[in-house]
Amino acid sequence: MLNAKPKQMKSKTGLARCMELASNKKGLIFLSAILSSLAAIASYIPYIAVYFIIRSIIQVYPELSQLDIGAVMSYGWMALGGVVANILFYFLAIFSSHLAAFGTLYELKLLFADHITKLPLGYHLTIGSGRLRKIMDENIESIEGFIAHQFPDFVASVTAPIVMVILLLTVDWRFGLVSMVGIILAFVAEFIGFGSKDMKENMRNYQTALEEMNNASVEYVRGMSVVKAFNQTASSFKRLKDAIHDYTEWVLKYSLGWQNCMPAFTTIINNIYLLLVPFGIFIGTYSTDYKNFTITFIFYLIFVPAIAGILNKIMYISQSFMQINGNVARMDEILHIPEMPESIHPKKPGNDDVIFEKVRFSYTGKESEIAIDQVSFTARKGEITAIVGPSGSGKSTIANLISRFWDVTDGCIKIGDVDIRDIAQDDLLRHVSFVFQDIFLFKQSILDNIRMGNQNATEAQVIKAAKAAQCHDFISKLPEGYHTIVGTKGIHLSGGERQRIAIARAIIKDSPIIVLDEATAFSDPENEYFIQKAFEELMQGKTVIIIAHRLSTIRNAHKIIVMEKGRLIEEGKHDQLVAAGGRYAQMWNHYIEAVDWKISGKGSVINE
Amino acid sequence: MSRLQKALFLSDKGYKGLKKAIIACTITNLTMLLPFCVTVMIFSELLTPFVGGTIQWAHIWMLWGVGVISLVLIFLAAKNDYRKTYIASYKESNATRVRIAERLRRLPMNFFNTKDLSEITTHMMADCSSMESMLSSTIPPLVANVITVTLTCILLAFFDWRLALCMFCTLPIAFLIIWLSRNYQKKLFARQVDAKLAASGQVQEYLEGMKIIKSCGLSGSRFSELDKSLRIMKKISVKVEMAIGVFMSSASMVLQAGIGITIFVGTVLLVNGSIELLPLFMFMLMVTRIYGPILAIFSQLSTLLNLHVVTKRMRTLFTIRTMEGDEKTIPNYDIELEHVTFCYHTEDVIKDVSCRLSQGTVTALVGPSGSGKSTLSKLIARFWDIQSGIIRVGGKDVRTIEPESLMQYMSFVFQDVTLFNDTIINNIRLGNPNATDEQVIAAAKAAYCDEFVQDMSEGYQTVLGENGSTLSGGERQRISIARALLKDAPIILLDEATASLDPENEVLVQKAIAKLVEGKTVIMIAHRLRTVVDADQILVLENGRLVENGTHKELMDKKGLYQKLYRIQQESLGWTV
Repeated sequence: MLNAKPKQMKSKTGLARCMELASNKKGLIFLSAILSSLAAIASYIPYIAVYFIIRSIIQVYPELSQLDIGAVMSYGWMALGGVVANILFYFLAIFSSHLAAFGTLYELKLLFADHITKLPLGYHLTIGSGRLRKIMDENIESIEGFIAHQFPDFVASVTAPIVMVILLLTVDWRFGLVSMVGIILAFVAEFIGFGSKDMKENMRNYQTALEEMNNASVEYVRGMSVVKAFNQTASSFKRLKDAIHDYTEWVLKYSLGWQNCMPAFTTIINNIYLLLVPFGIFIGTYSTDYKNFTITFIFYLIFVPAIAGILNKIMYISQSFMQINGNVARMDEILHIPEMPESIHPKKPGNDDVIFEKVRFSYTGKESEIAIDQVSFTARKGEITAIVGPSGSGKSTIANLISRFWDVTDGCIKIGDVDIRDIAQDDLLRHVSFVFQDIFLFKQSILDNIRMGNQNATEAQVIKAAKAAQCHDFISKLPEGYHTIVGTKGIHLSGGERQRIAIARAIIKDSPIIVLDEATAFSDPENEYFIQKAFEELMQGKTVIIIAHRLSTIRNAHKIIVMEKGRLIEEGKHDQLVAAGGRYAQMWNHYIEAVDWKISGKGSVINE
Repeated sequence: MSRLQKALFLSDKGYKGLKKAIIACTITNLTMLLPFCVTVMIFSELLTPFVGGTIQWAHIWMLWGVGVISLVLIFLAAKNDYRKTYIASYKESNATRVRIAERLRRLPMNFFNTKDLSEITTHMMADCSSMESMLSSTIPPLVANVITVTLTCILLAFFDWRLALCMFCTLPIAFLIIWLSRNYQKKLFARQVDAKLAASGQVQEYLEGMKIIKSCGLSGSRFSELDKSLRIMKKISVKVEMAIGVFMSSASMVLQAGIGITIFVGTVLLVNGSIELLPLFMFMLMVTRIYGPILAIFSQLSTLLNLHVVTKRMRTLFTIRTMEGDEKTIPNYDIELEHVTFCYHTEDVIKDVSCRLSQGTVTALVGPSGSGKSTLSKLIARFWDIQSGIIRVGGKDVRTIEPESLMQYMSFVFQDVTLFNDTIINNIRLGNPNATDEQVIAAAKAAYCDEFVQDMSEGYQTVLGENGSTLSGGERQRISIARALLKDAPIILLDEATASLDPENEVLVQKAIAKLVEGKTVIMIAHRLRTVVDADQILVLENGRLVENGTHKELMDKKGLYQKLYRIQQESLGWTV
């Protein structure tokens, strides 16, 4: 497995972190670094060859008849060889770095996908799928550029100048020193830009403005239908426009912050020869061997411009480093969220009763925002336990806790005497089916969608489940039956049909505990009848916990639990509770009232 | 309009700015040639002793002086071009963004009911960003390179056409390689884009279906569709890089073979005495540098040729028809539909519907899901324009009424309530921006929002999170009713909640609706048929057709679709577990 999860307390950031992420492909990355350095060094060869040619000519000049044509020709071949070597090395370097990069991306994305499923589900709600998606689609993707291009370029742009400096110093250390001064000056110009406080400040403001503009535009479009309905487009347009202007202002401020450093850098790397000339004049004036002096001087004049190309690359690399830092940090934010702890010695649940023992839970962990407080009850196998209560009373929370989408703060939840925290995650999830929390169908065939409940189910079993869930008839009518891909053009599944497919999925999964959320059920009255029949199939002999809204549905439940403000306030059968005249009885009266509501032009509520 | 301007979706001002930026870049490129010229002239001075002269150090000092002046020039030119390109490109993308925003608000309502909306927006904003960087750091230097290389080529030909020919003879072949590989590259790119979209789609599915994936134990690589799509993407990406690498490398090798050719031919010419030493040196120096900018052009060629792709989405946006209409007022609120037919994506959704909804009455739309109930109600509000037939509000064809004015007469209470990242009070005030705090609170009380708002940490000043995710369905609906109460429009379009609310919430929502519809012209999409038994008129839709029409009693007597639906529902209401 990929070594992407930082284990130590103090985790790495930026460049070091990128390298850590790619550590599985160390070999390829190392290879690409060497090759790209070789390519950079090979790029000097044509310059040197040209220098050799000029030297051989000057040495005989003006007696050209003495020129060793063969030697000059071989220098020509040397120049060509340098070109070919440069290109080949670079090609191979980039190729291996891309292999490493795409391989890393693939592994990293899977790892990320795997990690997020192991987080308490609550995180998905707070983080939002949009952000997670952006991390997978964009932030992780940007690491490709780093591994594939920036890293080999970076190594080359460090090794190549070193080789160059060695060359410059060995030919003539005095000229060499002067050239180095030029290189150092160029770097100074660049780092002045990076180091300055203003620039960092501007960069931050610019990125904040960018984020705000993006948010503003999403909200602008998302809210457009409402804004239009209330004739408010002018003001919402103005808000977006302000955000756009803000962004432009900051991005310009940031970019123009470079308006001296960037041109200065470019100017210096293209004019290092100006440092050499006075020095050359000085040496030349006192030189005894004019010919040798000229040849050396010319060598420097020819060779020094070669540095411009390489140093230019460094400029771009350092800029993109800053962006990658941010991208990696965003990914790590999620990777650093601890996974739900898995028991080291997992136990199997003994039977299928669900037991809540003094369960306390808070989404935020704050004592003041407790969602469930001291809740104890038992839902028995083969019985239906209904949970009712106003919205916000904690009934959905109870359902979420059973599948361990979150862990309880206090107390415990047991399935057949085993704390669910001691049950292996996979085992637990196999034990509990959640119906109607979300009706989500994947863009796969209907067969595969149902089979998701049990990967090993045969087609015949799938069809059997579909029949039980009352979906066989409408599925058969689809152009490609069970092999119809959900979401294909022209295929319209109504809400009720989707719900029944979801029930089929649960039927085939056949887990002993069923948690049912009625809130999203029955959204499609004309399908209601079928859905109800499907339900009956699903619930046979199971431990059923139903979050109920329509009280009539649960009149015959074995046990009704009434929740209010996170506390269990009443418990019993329908008739008992109604007779008791407590909270449930009150809700029941409300319910009767709501069912009889009718609308008319007078706008009044009529009770029959 | 020039092709470049069109392809880049530039305003006239932006186009002018781009031209200026290109000129500035070209000037920088040309000043960069100055050090080269000075170097060659220094060579010439250094070589005088070899042809019998004496070295003139003063001349070299002078040349150095020229070099220093050119250094200043380079700096000024580089600074000028930096400023020109960045200012021009950011101002232009600022203008483009505003232009898009301006356009968006004129689009028909239906555009904003599509699901991939935020995607469209983010893409468009991303397009603007990539255009921004193209305008600032890709196009101007590249075009400037083309100009400079051409100029240099011509200049060199004046010095010595034979060596100039040697230098550039490989250019056409290299160019041909790139050109011929273009289609293949395009195909590969298209496959890569497809693979990326597929992978991104799978990521989306994975995230949206998280709960199911979790409960079916299919996380990470066990969700085979995700694994497969990521694998395909990896493969195709490597292939694309490989192909580009091969083409670019071979073109680059062919091109730079010019170095060898120039050296060989040059030496032969020198020995023959048909060229002077200095021009040869000059060519040899030039040949080591000239190919860099040409290769830069090559590597960006496909980008340059496909500029229009970047702006494609933006242009599509501008081809969507906006809604016209000048009428600002309507005399009454009678609504009439005459043979209304409407297709959506070539599918007939509403077929030949005619009916009349009188002012001050309640009309219910009922029918199985997909029968066109909500489409029909939205057509009245002119979310779309119909293909044939006519819809009149107050006797006027809705297509002649300015969409914004038409909206003034209507309030919507739909199921999906959009809330903004703002305070509760401002979210309600959306109904009428001129309302005082007292009026807003009065509306909130009337819509039974007051109680839950008071329970919040900062009451009406509580800021809702993104789309108010902390509120329950019933609370959201009551906020939208409060908005509608505040707006007080004479026509109300209502979608009865389908997701069941808990009984208390439901009673409150119902009470709030009752207040809202008093004395108004109401169109209600009903799911629970009992709700509408007292409606003045019930329209029964099936597959986009109006199949029955009348009061509850009339329809029950008719024993048609309505009666059937009503009976089924009564039965399922009595269902118990």
